[in-house]
Amino acid sequence: MAIKLDYVVRETGHSLKRNFTLSLASVLTVAVSLALVGSAFVVRAAVQHSTARWTGDVQFIVFMKPDASAAQISAVRNALDPEKNTQIAKVTFFDKQRAYKEFREVFRDDPVLLSTSRQADMPTSFRVKPAIKNAELINQMGQQLKQAPGVYQVEFAYDTVKQIERVSKLISTVILATALFLLAAAGLLILNSIRMAMFARRREIEVMKLVGATNWFIRVPFMFEGLIQGLIGAVPAAVAVWFLGTRINSSGSTHSSVAILQGLYVSGGEVWTVIIAMIIIGCLVGVVGSAVAVTRFLDV
Amino acid sequence: MIKLEDVSKIYKGDVTALQDASADIAKGEFVFLVGPSGSGKSTMIRLLNKSETPTRGSIYVAGKDIGELSSWKVPFLRRNIGCVFQDFKLLNSRTVYENVAFALEVIGRPKHVIEAQVPAILDLVGLAKKTDNMPHELSGGEQQRVSIARAFVNRPLILLADEPTGNLDPTTSVGIMRLLDRINRTGTTVVMATHDRAIVDTMRRRVIELDRGRIIRDQARGVYE
Repeated sequence: MAIKLDYVVRETGHSLKRNFTLSLASVLTVAVSLALVGSAFVVRAAVQHSTARWTGDVQFIVFMKPDASAAQISAVRNALDPEKNTQIAKVTFFDKQRAYKEFREVFRDDPVLLSTSRQADMPTSFRVKPAIKNAELINQMGQQLKQAPGVYQVEFAYDTVKQIERVSKLISTVILATALFLLAAAGLLILNSIRMAMFARRREIEVMKLVGATNWFIRVPFMFEGLIQGLIGAVPAAVAVWFLGTRINSSGSTHSSVAILQGLYVSGGEVWTVIIAMIIIGCLVGVVGSAVAVTRFLDV
Repeated sequence: MIKLEDVSKIYKGDVTALQDASADIAKGEFVFLVGPSGSGKSTMIRLLNKSETPTRGSIYVAGKDIGELSSWKVPFLRRNIGCVFQDFKLLNSRTVYENVAFALEVIGRPKHVIEAQVPAILDLVGLAKKTDNMPHELSGGEQQRVSIARAFVNRPLILLADEPTGNLDPTTSVGIMRLLDRINRTGTTVVMATHDRAIVDTMRRRVIELDRGRIIRDQARGVYE
């Protein structure tokens, strides 16, 4: 037997109106918790972009001149080879293609710069992870390489970069943990609001059982109500995260004096992935909360 | 149509509501269940539509052992069994028409069926002019007519009535009994629990008397005592 959509919509609408305050509480809790979840992921993604070059304990980067000869490149490569140089733990070579890809990502909001740059203009580079911990020695090693022919520049990882990465990780973990507790609270609130809705309609439920309505027919409007609460809560959270995403991108593209902010951006794809995940989580919390309420308190 | 085989129902704390009850009710019969309060009349009614399950024994409805029925099939059993109660169980926020239509709506009947059957049944129970009234605007007898209309609108094989005249004065009760009699004449099996002596004695139908959970009398064309 098909359950008619207009019936479900009508019953759900009545019920949401009747339990307005409790429904609102559920919706708001879902909204706040999902906004936190979404923001944590978006901020983490943005920070990861800005510090992407420095992941995996890369301590300095040796940029070659764009017109460096193959011989010059292989000379530097030899000097940095972990098998020959015990002070090096790992080295990764970025060719022009890979450099151009990264360049396009970092300056994606700068169409002028993008249109005037070609792959051939990109410098190749070596990302170096030293085996030694001594900052002085690492600095010396970098300075020596600077003198080598064909080397354009040696860039060192700033301690601030590392710190920003650490702090952002900590903050987003704390936010996520808080958000999980709030999500649990949202689930419980939805459970309770559905329970109230069922209590308000207990006579109708009794009659429905009496005249032979199927269990699913009785359950579905309540579960739909939970779903709607989760979904409505997800909407403002999604808007907040979308707004946060655009804010992050505008702070990154204004060539902020804080060097680290220049690389701070999130792609549209990332924001949308987070938003879709939030909507799915919102719906899940609503459905799970109401499903628990329905199975526990609806003796059908 | 209905068959009970050594049915016992024991509630928590060794309260025996029904003990080794056996009965066979044919299609189209009108049966009174009589006996004092607590004798097991209501328990028997509730066992018949599987609102409760027997502790021992089997119950057959339309040839099927309802104890074997999986829980998802119970609603379909109930569509063949109309129920009427002493307290009517009407939805106070809905009109007469909506109360009756609700019973069809929640079992997924299409709109055109509802629009055809609800006025017809309200006409049958004599409430054609009160379709838009709210339950609280009706007398007790009229409310019971609404609840009978709701129970019968789906044309069930069986109508169970648990003290349907319990809240009504004698004159009104007679009207309700005429209605139930009329429904019985359409071929519907009616099982009615009551302790209204006058009704039982006037109708002269089959009487099953219960006392402390046991069937102590099963008499065709019987009287109350």
